[in-house]
Amino acid sequence: MKIGFRIWILIIVLVLALLAIAPWKTFDKGVVIKSVEVNSSAFNEGLRQGQIISSIDGQKVDNLEDFSKVINSKNFSDAHTKLIINTNKGEFILFTNKTPEINVAGPPKSNLKTGLDLSGGSRALVKAKDKDLSSSEINDLISVVSNRLNVYGIADVQISPVSDLSGNNFIMIEIAGTTPSDLKDLISQQGKFEAKIKNDTVFIGGEKDIASVCRNDASCAAIESCNPDNTGMYFCTFRFSVYLSEEAAKKHADITKNLGVNVTPQGNYLSEKLDLYLDDNLVDTLLISEGLKGVVTTQISISGSDSGSTSDEAYKIASESMNKLQTILITGSLPYQLEIVKLDTISPNLGKEFTRNIVLLGLIVFIIISIVLFVRYRKIKITLSVILTMFSEAFITLGVAALISWNLDAPSIAGLIAGMGTGVNDQIVIIDESISDTKVSLKERIKRALFIILGAFFTIIAAMLPLFWAGAGMLKGFALTTIIGVTAGILITRPAFAEIIKRIEE
Amino acid sequence: MENENQEAKKEIPDVKEKKKFSFNYDKYYKLLLLIPIFLLLLSLTYIGIFYSKNGDFINKDVSLSGGTSITINGEINQEQLEVALKPKFPDVSFTKLTDIVSKKELALIVESSASVEELQPEIESILGYKLNEKNSSIEFTGASLSKDFYRQLIMALFISFILMSIVIFILFRTFIPSIAVIFAVFADIVFPLAVIDYFGIKVSAAGIAAFLMLIGYSVDTDILLTSRVLKTREGSVNNRIFRAFKTGILMNLTALAAILPAFFIVTGLPDSFRQIFLILALGLFADILNTWLTNASIIKWYCVKKGIQ
Repeated sequence: MKIGFRIWILIIVLVLALLAIAPWKTFDKGVVIKSVEVNSSAFNEGLRQGQIISSIDGQKVDNLEDFSKVINSKNFSDAHTKLIINTNKGEFILFTNKTPEINVAGPPKSNLKTGLDLSGGSRALVKAKDKDLSSSEINDLISVVSNRLNVYGIADVQISPVSDLSGNNFIMIEIAGTTPSDLKDLISQQGKFEAKIKNDTVFIGGEKDIASVCRNDASCAAIESCNPDNTGMYFCTFRFSVYLSEEAAKKHADITKNLGVNVTPQGNYLSEKLDLYLDDNLVDTLLISEGLKGVVTTQISISGSDSGSTSDEAYKIASESMNKLQTILITGSLPYQLEIVKLDTISPNLGKEFTRNIVLLGLIVFIIISIVLFVRYRKIKITLSVILTMFSEAFITLGVAALISWNLDAPSIAGLIAGMGTGVNDQIVIIDESISDTKVSLKERIKRALFIILGAFFTIIAAMLPLFWAGAGMLKGFALTTIIGVTAGILITRPAFAEIIKRIEE
Repeated sequence: MENENQEAKKEIPDVKEKKKFSFNYDKYYKLLLLIPIFLLLLSLTYIGIFYSKNGDFINKDVSLSGGTSITINGEINQEQLEVALKPKFPDVSFTKLTDIVSKKELALIVESSASVEELQPEIESILGYKLNEKNSSIEFTGASLSKDFYRQLIMALFISFILMSIVIFILFRTFIPSIAVIFAVFADIVFPLAVIDYFGIKVSAAGIAAFLMLIGYSVDTDILLTSRVLKTREGSVNNRIFRAFKTGILMNLTALAAILPAFFIVTGLPDSFRQIFLILALGLFADILNTWLTNASIIKWYCVKKGIQ
């Protein structure tokens, strides 16, 4: 059979879709670095997000289990354990006394990405409280929020501006995989940090006053102690050092210069204390020792405590609080008070089951439609052509989704499967027109079929278009896959199918 | 007529139906129109009563009315939760996700207008364990946002309907046939709406999106019918209607074949997915009646009046 140019186009597009989806990635080995703690030894040696680790110390790392096996076999208590990490970007040698601060994940199986409802993760829709933000204000806000999340150490986060049909501006924060337990605070807390002596502000959070904050270094940032209280709760205290800018340190000297001294049995302290406020709530009060009076001091130690029902829980919560406070001190406050209008945290576990079931459903739909068509037409060739076309359409849609890095959520896949249904409908129209025994020429009959198909195409586009804007675009995926599917149908698969049918009939 | 005989040889089951069909159709097509109209009026009445009782056309889920939806993975004792939660959260509702084939209970979805902070600790104390991202999903939508979402989606539905109508008018450029198509699509939306209200199903944002898709999805058989009857001249009007029916009913069936397995074979699917498919399935079912009884009868009537042969 001679292959006409319409069929050639279909073949070329299918190959391109295959390249875009890259299903052979299933056979890829190694683990992908999802995030590297900034300024950790791993970071300083050049390990970065996106690199693929293939071996550590000569031991092969094919998957996540291998990775944790190798890491767990190392004894990091030794002052400087040597670690040779081989990646696709070369070899890195680490000397470290603790587990490398990197997060890894198994390699992606293809370029297809599933949405949060299937892969798990969290999504927050945030807007400014009692204020309409312009798009430039939204962009400022996005950079502050993303800085904050990065400093906190959240990997794989996507922040984007969205607006809806009523002209409201939001920011959408999407975090794939795990959900940090205090995401809500991290996003919505304005984080206005102020250190005051009486009513005078000594310094505030952010880079103007804070030169640096000690993190990940046990000598100046640590959980100091964990103790049970008489109610059975555990309290853990953390402490970390903050280094002030020259300017802030001078301000401290100016304010303390004129203060009196209280003599107490525990030592001599200035008459006023340093009060630390977070969003106007007092979080800590520090006594200032007499020696610091009028002195330009740049180092300050901040402490806090948190409780939990077990020692481990208290430790974890206190560590998180410390990290949050450190983050706020480094990044400063958000320019606006924010309000979380929607917050979804989705378990990855159920999503796996869903994904499997959806794939199964797709296969069953293929089989049932094949049976229905075969019963009607009793011709293997015709049935196979329809199935092939249906498959091509789904495949091209997935290819486009991979190409534009679209995250396929459940509604997107519902759109894809429903779109396959309309695709088959169009092919039925073509078959019935071409096998009908009228005196009209085949060309004319195909033209008639195309009129019906084009009509159906334009109505479905018209019907789905409003979804791009309604509801902050949360249902865009549904509209998008449907529109990609029917467009691929009209431009590529339908003409090819018409040609195939013409050849079968001839 | 010669052509028909040729076809008849190929497909015996059709021939009886066809004879009966062409025999009665001229006499009864107006009467046939009564069936879908009766159904439409019944649906509209029900929706009207529903509206007067509830102040809205649908039962909205928390994504459209504001509140919290907690999906707890695994087999969860629904009764225990129901008994304990009802007094504190009178509006709490439950949906169980079960895979029909494996009979495996995948998850229980708990919904209430309460905030996460109110609902989550209660559930945790009843279950006796903490909810985390490994064992549950939590979705929260603020009241004002959900109200906005709902308003916008309804607006989108209207825009969608209007755009569809414009496309139909451009395609056919004649008033009555275009109106017949648009009317059939309208009826396709009304029927699933009434069924969903009747069963007390809570509609999500994805559900309303499904209504939008239904507009685009159900119209292709109507376009097929109208264009076969008005744009071609082979055979009689009845013959053309019947030929369109033969093609179109297969289209309806394959479309249903793509949708129905989600209810009978693979049921362990995300709620949004199930709802989209439920609404499409109901709409497609309505579409069979509305295309082949409503639209066909109107177009036949139109042809008789205009003397189209």
